[in-house]
Amino acid sequence: MFILGGVVLYFLSGVVDELRVYQGATIAVYVIAIASIILLTGYSGQVSLGHGALMAVGAYAAAVLRIEFNLPIILCFVAAVLAAAIGGALLGAAAARLSGPYLAGTTLALAIGLPSLANQFAVLGGEQGLLFDVGFPPLALGEEFTQYKWFFWIAALAALISMWVIRNLLNSAYGRAWRAGRGNEVAAQLAGINTARSKVLAFTISAGIAGLAGALLAMTIGTVSPSAFPLALSFSLLTGAVLSGITTLGGVIIGAVVLVAIPEIADVVAHRLGSSESVTTNLPGLIVSGLLILTVLFVPNGPVEQHRARKAKHAAQHTSSKKKDKH
Amino acid sequence: MKALNRRKLITASAVLAIVGLAATAIPAQAAEVGVSSTQIKLGMTLPMTGTASLGYNKIPGAAKAYFDYLNANGGINGRKVTLVVKDDRYVPTEAVAKTNELILKDKVMALLAPLGTANVKAVASSVNPARRGVPVLFVNTGFSGFADIKKYKTTYTVLPSYVMEAKIMGQYIKENFAGKKIGLLYQDDDFGTDALAGFKSAGTNFTIKVPYASGSQTAAAAAGWITKFKAAEVDVVILFGVSSATSAMLGVAAQLKYAPQWMLGSVGGDATTIKLTGVPAGVLYNAIGFSPVPATTDMKDEYVKFFSDIYAKAVPGSPFDLNVLLGMNTAFMTAQALKAAGPRPTRKSLMAAIDSKGATFANSALVPAGYSKTSHVGLTGYWVGKYSPTGDLSPIGGTYVTYTTDSGSGPVVKSTYKRPAMPAKGLPN
Repeated sequence: MFILGGVVLYFLSGVVDELRVYQGATIAVYVIAIASIILLTGYSGQVSLGHGALMAVGAYAAAVLRIEFNLPIILCFVAAVLAAAIGGALLGAAAARLSGPYLAGTTLALAIGLPSLANQFAVLGGEQGLLFDVGFPPLALGEEFTQYKWFFWIAALAALISMWVIRNLLNSAYGRAWRAGRGNEVAAQLAGINTARSKVLAFTISAGIAGLAGALLAMTIGTVSPSAFPLALSFSLLTGAVLSGITTLGGVIIGAVVLVAIPEIADVVAHRLGSSESVTTNLPGLIVSGLLILTVLFVPNGPVEQHRARKAKHAAQHTSSKKKDKH
Repeated sequence: MKALNRRKLITASAVLAIVGLAATAIPAQAAEVGVSSTQIKLGMTLPMTGTASLGYNKIPGAAKAYFDYLNANGGINGRKVTLVVKDDRYVPTEAVAKTNELILKDKVMALLAPLGTANVKAVASSVNPARRGVPVLFVNTGFSGFADIKKYKTTYTVLPSYVMEAKIMGQYIKENFAGKKIGLLYQDDDFGTDALAGFKSAGTNFTIKVPYASGSQTAAAAAGWITKFKAAEVDVVILFGVSSATSAMLGVAAQLKYAPQWMLGSVGGDATTIKLTGVPAGVLYNAIGFSPVPATTDMKDEYVKFFSDIYAKAVPGSPFDLNVLLGMNTAFMTAQALKAAGPRPTRKSLMAAIDSKGATFANSALVPAGYSKTSHVGLTGYWVGKYSPTGDLSPIGGTYVTYTTDSGSGPVVKSTYKRPAMPAKGLPN
């Protein structure tokens, strides 16, 4: 299925215009970032408001290695995953002792504080940031092959690989342990699961994936700077996760598309209504917030889960009515 | 087998049809992107919402006010100038996304006055306007690096650089505060690095230098800075930071009755922005300040009078401040560049026009611009003034004394620049 997805994306990138290709790359980045939140929150039951900061760790790791050692781009991405995973493990070790609002508070502080740390070290480029150049696409792909298409390919491939990895992880013993711990920690411990270790592991893996997303984000904007990882990023990732359905990995594309598409939709709506600039600039925030509230009110488990539940209910009714017929 | 073949045939013809359609849909080579027989489209990204938008979000309204006036008076050779504005919330990711939309979807001819050093850098790297041949006119940052013509081929600066400002401050100190103890507050990033380079070149000796990290400029931090400056017994304190640092510092200093001679950098010296942070403008009284354009209250100045009249009609009730004046001045210069780009303006002819005639474009600035075939440097100096009790900067002694210099090791000299008179009716000629 993942390979099929890759083939479809490959052809898609060939026919759409450059702006859509760029947006596609952004969507792929969001898919990865939101998936890391879903893994953490939806499956292992821990809240993080600080994934923007972990993305920053990955992005800075990749950029510094690229600039200082001129490492091949693939190694930069691997390093981004490792660096953010180490950060996540440290955070996870602390997080395993915290839960609920305390954990949210700790990670929130991280989201606010960590990116501006870059101002303290000259090697991180301060407020203006560092350039992160993954280089031009290989000439073998042809003269017409644009930079954004290249970004899209890299990001889409990374998204497919990470989704495949996460899917397999969630179906493994680790995934089952996470779910057991989320459902009932005491029961999970009685069943022989080391829930503390399992939580730290979830945090580490989630952080590593977020780090990859961060490095890819830095690639699409060509630079890394503290202001690229504001608090709002962490919040919009969480929003994306809720819109996707916090416990459904498969819904992740919904959240990612919504985050990229909303500003554009708002633009169109505002222009149709012929409204002022202040409306256009504030509309995206309004729509996203409105969607978030509606989702939480009406489909708390996300649209995919809701659809599945309805189908299951329908099927159950169907079978029970069949049974009745037999009687 | 036959069915399969037929299906293949259908698919193949469908593909052919689509390809054919796509081929015919591609329009004949247009004159230039963003230029039609009736309009010229320009695009701008800047923070319109969020904390960084204070003051800056008036710039698009100011630029549009001038373009609307221009359009009502015939536009540029009959073409109306339209400005598409997008909010980047001062986030590089957003700036890149919005600039992509401007270039690829809205298909603007040129980018106008993008704001913020980190944003302009990100756009230069990812969107790469230089490779696309898209002009980036008059960037709204004083970072000296954007004058690097090899790196930023299509980018033109307009504000004098932070290096120039520090050099001119240093010269002013030499002339007026010789032998006094000087203190400096600066932001410890590229902004501050530029400033330090300028002061070094001017040979300014500081008794104490206090750095602060961007984002740390709170009232509590300001109390700490004041303790340091007090202990060093300085006579003059230079605030080379952003507006929020200025207002934190001056607000706390007023409470503590700490009153050295203040000297403010232009970035952190805009009274309306300081007032928006809740500090009364009175704290600015008697501070020394620097500006490349005339005092916004100077109604004897033909440009200021003209701009403020147009702005009052276009955006009634909004105060005419430095951001508005700079925004309108940028639009004014853009209009002349477009006019000078010929009857059928292209991106190339637009840039060529600035290269060859930019230094002589009429505009309100009291200092010369440095545009030439080998330089994309905009304004090159400042005049020195003092703030009134209402927070308005006006020239010391009533006459503008202007200094000019470069971002390198060149000397600071009193400028003899004679500003071109405003063209008739404020329209490009």
